[in-house]
Amino acid sequence: MIGLQHYLTLSAILFSLSIAGIFVNRRNLILLLMCIELMLLAVNFNFIAFSRSLGDETGQVFVFFILTVAAAEAAIGLAILVVVFRNRRSINVQELDTMKG
Amino acid sequence: MIFGQFSPAAPEITLLIMICIVLIADLFVEDEKRATTFWLAIASLAVTAWAVLASAPDAHTLLFDGSYVSDALSQVLKLFAIGTVAIGFLYARDYLRQNKLMKGEYYLLGLFGLLGIMIMTSANSMLTMYLGLETLSLSLYALVAFDRNSATSAESAMKYFVLGAIASGTLLYGISWIYGITGSLQFDGIAAAVRNDAINSMPLWFGMAFMIVGIAFKFGAVPFHMWLPDVYQGARTPVTLYIASAPKLAALALILRILVDGLGELHVVWQGMIMVLAVLSLVVGNVVAIAQTNIKRMLGYSAIAHVGFILIAIFTGSQDGYAAALFYTLTYVVMAAGAFGMVILLSRKGFEAENLADFKGLNARSPWFALMMLFFMFGMAGVPPWVGFFAKLNVISAVLNAGFPILALIMVLASVIGAYYYLRVIWYMYFDAAEDRSVFQADIDTRIVLSLNGVAVLVLGIIPGWLLTLCINVIRTVY
Amino acid sequence: MFHTILFYFFAIVLIGAAIGVIFARNPVHAVMFLVLAFFQSAVLWLLIEAEFLAIVLVLVYVGAVMVLFLFVVMMLDINVEEVSGGYTRYLPLGVLVAVLMVTELAQIIWLRSTPGISAAGFASTPDGYSNTKALGAVLYTEHVYAFEIAAVILLLAIVAAITLTMRKRPGLKQQDIAAQVAVRAADRIRIVKMDAVKPDTGSEP
Repeated sequence: MIGLQHYLTLSAILFSLSIAGIFVNRRNLILLLMCIELMLLAVNFNFIAFSRSLGDETGQVFVFFILTVAAAEAAIGLAILVVVFRNRRSINVQELDTMKG
Repeated sequence: MIFGQFSPAAPEITLLIMICIVLIADLFVEDEKRATTFWLAIASLAVTAWAVLASAPDAHTLLFDGSYVSDALSQVLKLFAIGTVAIGFLYARDYLRQNKLMKGEYYLLGLFGLLGIMIMTSANSMLTMYLGLETLSLSLYALVAFDRNSATSAESAMKYFVLGAIASGTLLYGISWIYGITGSLQFDGIAAAVRNDAINSMPLWFGMAFMIVGIAFKFGAVPFHMWLPDVYQGARTPVTLYIASAPKLAALALILRILVDGLGELHVVWQGMIMVLAVLSLVVGNVVAIAQTNIKRMLGYSAIAHVGFILIAIFTGSQDGYAAALFYTLTYVVMAAGAFGMVILLSRKGFEAENLADFKGLNARSPWFALMMLFFMFGMAGVPPWVGFFAKLNVISAVLNAGFPILALIMVLASVIGAYYYLRVIWYMYFDAAEDRSVFQADIDTRIVLSLNGVAVLVLGIIPGWLLTLCINVIRTVY
Repeated sequence: MFHTILFYFFAIVLIGAAIGVIFARNPVHAVMFLVLAFFQSAVLWLLIEAEFLAIVLVLVYVGAVMVLFLFVVMMLDINVEEVSGGYTRYLPLGVLVAVLMVTELAQIIWLRSTPGISAAGFASTPDGYSNTKALGAVLYTEHVYAFEIAAVILLLAIVAAITLTMRKRPGLKQQDIAAQVAVRAADRIRIVKMDAVKPDTGSEP
């Protein structure tokens, strides 16, 4: 029988994959943004699974807000990405190192 | 009493209404008359401050089914946040005008950020805290990228955004665990659930660890500080001023509300993690700051060191410690606003006074403002009788009372190392020849407020009693 | 039993899609993998009767946010070769971090969990229960404050995105709505009176 633990494990795997993705794709900004979306998906899994097992809707309401905020965040993140691209013609993170210290 | 039953939330409601007014009014303002937007923004801040004083109760009052709380802590933090944002707007005005950046959006995003700060200081549930944090962070990301033609600004905005979003994700993952185990999102509900020993176990601590990582990221504590110096350096100076001041008050609210209101029972568990973060921040911040030649970057590392002090005060877990943390944050915000105000004062059209060398011979150019910068630097270094000394002394005595003499020793040593780079600025100002002798272009009102800001750092240090009593009373009524 | 098979099927596809997002060399492929991951998640949420969010995930996330991602990827026209490659250097580190985290998390979830977690299943909802109605009932009462803040965040996102990306440059075609509304028919069409003319059908000899 599929229980809470299965869903939590699936969420943990997704979360770890997103962290690994952030390590692996350090160079590419747009892939970094996608890894962050994946991370939020893992969080949503956790909230929904806990909410259903507790029989309490608050967790699902939280997911509703996470989806809203993530949409706003994606809009601003992509806007910044466009600004970066216009200024440098590249979205390669390794070229983003004019500041050191 | 305004807004009927919602009167405790009057500050947020008022600010939101004012934001909408500024947003609409700015559409009809021509570029040459952008000062109208500035004065509207200042008026919004004044009205909001009045709303805080007139209708937010000091006594613990819950609203919106317990997701909003108004108490003495939220009131003090809100008033200070409004004050520092107003000072920041004023310092920024001349700079923005000279550099052709005078756009209504700077003020608008600043007001949105303030709204986020106010929501955070009054949050009584994880949901409200998260939404307030995102309101603040999203406005900061946009503010950093505000100068669209600067590659450095865009670059630091991107770094800030990516790391900030990862921090939010980590914080949320922690919140989801805490919710699943305690079954509540409200801080009082979590606190009640944690008292039950059956759930006080590994998974709960685990969720808490994720949350602390998220908080440390937002605070800029070592080892999660990578974004901070780059953002301080890369953003335009008025934006750096904004980031360096008011959001620190929100960070204090974030850590106090979550770790003390919500998870206060787990003090023994989180104490160790906070201590590691605090000591690392103190040491790394102070040591790396010595090597900097860019003053914005240097102040960034100095901010990391100051965060170390605030975290150590919270680490003690005592009322004294929390009061010391509050006092430290309030006074630090005043000093940081002043120090960046000086950097703005020295800048002019097409020239950023962001290198330490730009402060050379300031005494010959303007003895009065050299003296003000001396006040800010002595204040931050913790030289008596400037206010930073009492802030540090409070934290050290709280740590000694809690029984950690070695920590107190580390703090004293770190402060001594830190004094070096602050004194270097003073050395440059008084004992080196000036490289440029241009006249400051700031308006008279900016000069007056900057002077008052500098004098306040000294006066607060000479008579720290009232602010200290205020902080202690606030903490007593809340905890 | 059927439920279990469905769970494992969709979970495995989900993990595969997530791995695809991380290792895709072409950003467009990565976005497509992410869309797949969202679809699998929606189905998994349906399996535990969180219908409203499952639908919202597909409509809002796949329908709007992922399209925005695709739009930006295509607009920036990123050179695939320039972007890909180089990840192999951090690959061992990434894999190590992922394996460590999964092991620790699994240990906490399966071995050291509280009774509240290990015993919990998903009780099926009573007859006549509507997930959407239940969420709506709390969203506009208990969480009305959060709802308002979310509205503020969306307004902020509009302001921020416009601040960052809108450019006024010469030659840009813009709509002037007031002018459009104020226009009169007489300005746009000229009615020319002409005598009816027979089409010239005759052919010259």
